[in-house]
Amino acid sequence: MGGDDVRSAVARRDEGMRRVRRLTWRAGAAGVVGSVLIAAAFGHHTSSTASHHPAQPGGILVPGHPPTAAPGSGQVNSGAS
Amino acid sequence: MTATAAARATFSVFGTMAVLLVTDQSALGAARLLADAELAAVDLACNRFRPDSELTQLNEAGGAARPVSLLFADLIATALRAAELTDGLVDPTCAAALASLGYDRDFSELAAGYAGPAGRGDEGPVTSEQSPATGEQNPATGEQSPVDGEAGPVTGWRSVELNLAGPSVQLRHGAQLDLGATAKARAADRCAGLIAEELGCGVLVSLGGDISVAGPAPTGGWQVRVTDDHAAGPESPGQTVAITGGGLATSSTTVRTWLADGRRVHHIIDPATGQPAQPCWRTVSVTAGSCVDANTASTAAIIRGESAPAWLADCGLPARLVRPDGTVVTAGGWPPEDQTTDPPGRGNEAGDPAGAAG
Repeated sequence: MGGDDVRSAVARRDEGMRRVRRLTWRAGAAGVVGSVLIAAAFGHHTSSTASHHPAQPGGILVPGHPPTAAPGSGQVNSGAS
Repeated sequence: MTATAAARATFSVFGTMAVLLVTDQSALGAARLLADAELAAVDLACNRFRPDSELTQLNEAGGAARPVSLLFADLIATALRAAELTDGLVDPTCAAALASLGYDRDFSELAAGYAGPAGRGDEGPVTSEQSPATGEQNPATGEQSPVDGEAGPVTGWRSVELNLAGPSVQLRHGAQLDLGATAKARAADRCAGLIAEELGCGVLVSLGGDISVAGPAPTGGWQVRVTDDHAAGPESPGQTVAITGGGLATSSTTVRTWLADGRRVHHIIDPATGQPAQPCWRTVSVTAGSCVDANTASTAAIIRGESAPAWLADCGLPARLVRPDGTVVTAGGWPPEDQTTDPPGRGNEAGDPAGAAG
């Protein structure tokens, strides 16, 4: 009976370790996914507010907000030079 | 919705006009100092016409690897990124092609060379008020004939080997760098980001019409007149829009033009031919998450030609494209024209192809 108790305890311990490893892996994966999502969501801010850092690879950065029509002649021109 | 910046400075840099706007009057002096220092550093790094610039020394290195400054490495990395993002349409190895077209000195000297004190008129630079750069066009196709002399595909951006550890750069296969397509826009981004971060105010930096904004925008956003020529008057043909972040850039085939072998040419080189891009669009304006990305897209659009609106829409980039006859095409959510600001008889609004392009 003593041997059965030991084997049972070892089996319970191994199962517990497997659960801990699964949870640890899932938490790590969730962290990586979350980091990627945050980077994608706020990537344009990196460029527009701290753009003196080296340019990041990836696609062409879309504007955070599209331009809107404005009245008058504007404060400055955008044209070729 | 009146957007007014508290303070403004206008000055010359890179042979063009710079405008600095800040939302805090007291920050203007410090902002100008920061901009001046940054722009001087960029000029020393990559001015093609300065014998002491890093770019000139790299081009004259005969293909040997050279150590470069962090700033120059950043400017080259930006140019290579632009090439990669546009499948090589915006290529930094166009220096030899430009030189073969006669653009081998500062543009003011080039322009003076053919304008002359009494020679303006037919020989003068084309402005936004005049016809687009169509010197020797085929009237049926609108295509320009190639200019005699050296022509052919450029060496290609993959010949530029940038080693960020060090950093160092090597130009292989005889490649010659010209960072004109991206450096000015990158400089605008660097200045705007630096000023906003150091001074905590809203800022707009325009370098020859390449515009970067950072920090808190004024009420109603920064109001920008999109037109052919950045130095044109406030009522010049175009459209006024407001932006609150990122950048806005305009590329055009009508302003930086000169005569080569009797033909009028412009500075936007198609890497596939080594010749100026065909004038499908005279002007393309794009907004993006940064000025350099906007400029990358607007330059690529000029070279892409007819497929540009669909490509810009696919990229999610609001854009305004103007054909040589003045017809306006918009893409990617660019706002409709305010008809009250249009000059009489100008262009036909052709609508946003974004829906058709998916």
